[in-house]
Amino acid sequence: MKVTRRQFLKVTGATVASFAVIDLGFDMTATASEVQGMRTKGVKPLPTICPFCGAGCGLVVFSKEGAPADGPQLLSVQGDPDNPINRGGACSKGSALMNIREIYSPETGEQEINPERRTKPLFREGGTTKWVEKDWDWMFEEIANRFKQTRDEYFEHKDENGIIVNRCEALASMGGAALDNEELQLIAKLSRALGMTYIEHQARI
Amino acid sequence: MARMTNLYDVSKCTACRGCQVACKDWNQLPAVIEPFTGNYQTHESTNGDTYTIVKFMEGEDPVDGIYWNFLKYQCMHCSDPACMSVCPQGAYSKTSWGATFHDPDKCIGCQYCTYACPFEIPKYRKREDKITKCTLCVDRVEEGLTPACARTCPTGALTFGNRDELLQVAEERVKFLRANGFPRATIYGKLELGGLNKLYVLTDTPDKFELPIDPKVPGQITFWQDWIQPYFGWLIPVALAGSAFSFVTTRILANKNGDHTEGGHE
Amino acid sequence: MTNHWVDLKNTDCALIIGSNAAENHPISFKWLTQAREKRGAKIINVDPRFTRTSARADIYAPLRSGTDIAFIGGMMNYILQNKRYHEEYVRWYTNATFIVKDTYGFDDGIFSGYDPEKRKYDGAKWAFEMNEDGTYMKDMTMEDPRCVLQIMKKHYERYDIELVCRITGTPKNKYMEVIEAYAATGAPDKVGTIMYAMGTTQHTVGTENVRSYAILQLLLGNIGRAGGGVNALRGESNVQGSTDWALLYHILPGYLNTPEAKKHPDYATYNAVETPKTGYWVNKPKFLSSLLKCYWMEDDPAKSYDYLPKRIDGKNYAHIAMFEDMYKGIIKGMIIWGSNPIVGGPNANKEQKALANLEWLVAIDLWQTETSEFWSYKALERPTDKDEYDIKPPEEIKTDVYFLPACGSYEKEGSVSNSGRWMQFRWKAADPVGESKADLEIVHKLALKIKELYAGSSRVEDEPITRLTWEYGHGDHPDIDIIAREINGFTVVDGKPGPQVANFTKLMDDGTTACGNWIYSGVYPADTGNPDVDYLARRRINTDDQVDPNYPPIGSYSQWSWCWPVNRRIIYNRCSSTPEGVPWDPNRASIWWAGEEWKGNDIPDFGKTTDPNGPGGRNAFIMRPELVGCMYSKCNEGPLPEHYEPWESPIKNLLNNQDLNPAVTVFEPDKQGTTDKYPIIGTTYRVSEHWQSGIMTRTQPWLAELMPNCFVEMSEELAKDRDIKNGSEVIISTTRGDIKALACVTKRFKPFLIDGNYVHQVGVLWHFGFNGYAPGEPANRLTPHVGDANTTIPEYKAWLCDVRRA
Repeated sequence: MKVTRRQFLKVTGATVASFAVIDLGFDMTATASEVQGMRTKGVKPLPTICPFCGAGCGLVVFSKEGAPADGPQLLSVQGDPDNPINRGGACSKGSALMNIREIYSPETGEQEINPERRTKPLFREGGTTKWVEKDWDWMFEEIANRFKQTRDEYFEHKDENGIIVNRCEALASMGGAALDNEELQLIAKLSRALGMTYIEHQARI
Repeated sequence: MARMTNLYDVSKCTACRGCQVACKDWNQLPAVIEPFTGNYQTHESTNGDTYTIVKFMEGEDPVDGIYWNFLKYQCMHCSDPACMSVCPQGAYSKTSWGATFHDPDKCIGCQYCTYACPFEIPKYRKREDKITKCTLCVDRVEEGLTPACARTCPTGALTFGNRDELLQVAEERVKFLRANGFPRATIYGKLELGGLNKLYVLTDTPDKFELPIDPKVPGQITFWQDWIQPYFGWLIPVALAGSAFSFVTTRILANKNGDHTEGGHE
Repeated sequence: MTNHWVDLKNTDCALIIGSNAAENHPISFKWLTQAREKRGAKIINVDPRFTRTSARADIYAPLRSGTDIAFIGGMMNYILQNKRYHEEYVRWYTNATFIVKDTYGFDDGIFSGYDPEKRKYDGAKWAFEMNEDGTYMKDMTMEDPRCVLQIMKKHYERYDIELVCRITGTPKNKYMEVIEAYAATGAPDKVGTIMYAMGTTQHTVGTENVRSYAILQLLLGNIGRAGGGVNALRGESNVQGSTDWALLYHILPGYLNTPEAKKHPDYATYNAVETPKTGYWVNKPKFLSSLLKCYWMEDDPAKSYDYLPKRIDGKNYAHIAMFEDMYKGIIKGMIIWGSNPIVGGPNANKEQKALANLEWLVAIDLWQTETSEFWSYKALERPTDKDEYDIKPPEEIKTDVYFLPACGSYEKEGSVSNSGRWMQFRWKAADPVGESKADLEIVHKLALKIKELYAGSSRVEDEPITRLTWEYGHGDHPDIDIIAREINGFTVVDGKPGPQVANFTKLMDDGTTACGNWIYSGVYPADTGNPDVDYLARRRINTDDQVDPNYPPIGSYSQWSWCWPVNRRIIYNRCSSTPEGVPWDPNRASIWWAGEEWKGNDIPDFGKTTDPNGPGGRNAFIMRPELVGCMYSKCNEGPLPEHYEPWESPIKNLLNNQDLNPAVTVFEPDKQGTTDKYPIIGTTYRVSEHWQSGIMTRTQPWLAELMPNCFVEMSEELAKDRDIKNGSEVIISTTRGDIKALACVTKRFKPFLIDGNYVHQVGVLWHFGFNGYAPGEPANRLTPHVGDANTTIPEYKAWLCDVRRA
């Protein structure tokens, strides 16, 4: 099901009630006036920053209030007119941002969750040829144990000169350039605490 | 309401194609993925699920060297639209501010409009057996918003507003471009077909942008719209049902059996 | 970026080199278009092929991939010989006046101090002469033959226009147009910006390429000024943040070097070795102490310093080296946070093979990255039988792979830092799809689980984990404001978080303050109980206020989000004013001396009350020990950029007899292609419609529609020579592997006339892999494992290949 019908109402004499933007406690002046024109009840606009290039253009995610958690929720994603960097502009990638979550099916035209999104933890056992679905608890337990085993086996507390080095060169971490700063703060902290020296991300490549 | 239109200034367009996607986002259109054929352009023309495309045209000028022209292409919202004249069902209308509106509820998918259109814009959507095309975001404009394409344009190549005012802007811009390295800069849409409701500032002659220099409604279409359609409009559904005598109906049938909406430029 | 996106509107001339800004950073053209409209600015684009950026440029000049230093060196030569530089700026704000010791020398591509065995330099040979009082010896007339300006003049006099054009393949008339247009920004009231990206950095001389831009900008007086700067256009939404947070082997958060065992065995030695005597970095011990307190709050920094991993001295752990070591089996387990190296990494065949040596791999992403399925049959397919690295079928790959579904950027909350260092907040706008989770929750739960496994251990080697401070609220999802407060820093009271510090000037080196990343200190300066107000990344006031009627606003938007350092939008902005403190251009005034203090449209990058005519009043680069901008500096391959050819090049170096950068490490000597088999220059790049390894965009139907296939762009001349039709399938091959792609035959690529011969270049999109709506083959199966001499960033941009019909 499409989340809303923005389809054209009869052009002449259409009167549509305006719906106020839910008060979010911060300034979205330009967006607020826009939502009134969307002819849809319960539009919830929330500002975000484009996850693609480093420009940091503002985007507004327009979602439908009260849409079921497990289905389509979005009306549209458009440039944030309040953001001084882009003033509402968005290139093809920014304009396509809705697709990260939801798409319109080429067969039926209906709105659905992007089928390319992965929705469950998956495990591939060495030597096998397919994925097996697992639950999160199993995953955390298993991964934490792998970290511990590898660390304990290869950890160097002191090097050959007797210097305390607290490092584990059998562990590596990669990536992070698309994460949030708060996430990076925790990943940086955990990686160093585990003794990792092979820590790299996209800035290097 | 004054006439409202888009002004598209090619000298500011970077062909990022935000407009092409924003159009899909607002009009809830699925992707139409066709293989790469050697040009950045996605489709030869618009299709049933693609109301606007950006065309890419490259060439080499003996004096100016290489050029790579971009052109946003979509319904021109003609002042006297051929699609509206030929539609047997009266599915087309003009809004008070100049948009050519197509009502899918009245459309029977005959595609006569596609062939009548000098720009071959209206396209057939098999999924619903209907014609579709750019609405100039009539649902947004009527509520005081700008069309999705103009709203998203990062560089300001695409703007929306009062046609008379934008025409002035366009004229100033052309003057500027002519004095600054583009002696053949011109406005498109001011006079063509009696004035289009889409204005273009071009840095070169229209043919360098694959636009018809003097767009015309095809002759047989004029004959059809002036004589046949007013008096024998009922013939079209009949023709669609089986008979295939005329040039027009043959093409309609050929196309209706196809997947999407080719027909148009080769 | 030294400056920021909006500031591009202030420029008189934009030199876009090594960047395809219109395609890869489209919003830049919003502001460049404005600069052109309102200021009559010129846009210059220098690129091997004619791109969408070139289509909107006033001047387009082609250059062969990998010849930036020759190109810029020729510009510098012209500017120095014809005295087009900004003399007052150069005199006061750069080290042009510094006297270099006579141990400096340069002969046929080699600077003094070179050890050919180790392929390393002794940089001490390039030092400056010092006065007895410990200050630098200078010649303010800049006429001493050993002053930096004269040394540069001599160094670059070899870069004459004719020779440069023979190397770069740039038509002379175009080159002259570029030089004239850009040299015009040397006038005191004119400003030019340089915009660059990976076309600059992804070379064996990547660092020196950037330095050549920086030197050019200093010569023309374009740094620290509105409309100027050296602007790296960063390719990922938070690659700025992830660099600031140092998910890199060589640094800790806030650009502190990671400790090496012998060099920094303990806390006191680290501080002694790493802390300079002058410049703002004298405060480094405060930043390290506060970082250690943030990680291990209950321990004294002198002790918790030992918890930090120490590198093996001098060892390279950079991406290429890491995969080389993985290939050798040194690395056993790996966690990947949203990255896709078998598409995006250099020599992807080898990196794919390396992954198979892991015992286990954890991959976290929204999508099924090719990397997470490196073991599958899909990953095994190749266009030909050529298999340089012995890629194995699934049954023979023993790696256990854990895939964790992450949620999307607007299905969670948090902040990202853009290229202009603005830290902007993203609100949660929709629920995570399925069971997907925020990476924040994943790292949090993983950390808690690991801590749980180590709980009760009294082993000293487990202390980095058992003593680790990990208090982020109750429940599965950490409290983001607790993290933000920790990033900003606070006073530690009884081993617990106390009041917030206002900014990094309040940090201490005695263990009484904690701070997760000192450069971000100031973003959460107080805890009033209203997090929407306290976390300045959330600010949304978008007015550009005028602070002084004489000086119009310059687009700082100081109350929109927050920017490091201390909300300063243009760094080094002391240079925006004359030595006496008057703006060079009143219409683009950044800061000015108002009699008793500095005022401005921005936060001064300077002592607020330091009199421009008093002591230190012209030390414009406070972060440098020299306190000026360094045109002559220390990189691994020398104090000044010199042109060297790419590792795989169709010609000998025409400027000196060193073909390859003398300080570069060659990882695979046997994989060097030569022109007999591989006569064509290959390069990789991106398009507007896809992003990086493509997994975020090939999975989006609207974007797959815009760019459905991998293609290789080539000239009509080459296509004719190889009988290739536009849109047809071709095979591109190098010594590392081969891929199939579609041909895009275009007038926009032209053969280069290099030293009298025509050389062809082709370009392949590197966005493609086997998954998604727009699958294709990874271009990085072609690229080499060789990198820059300082950073080891891979040479993606210039290598040798061959192209034929499929």
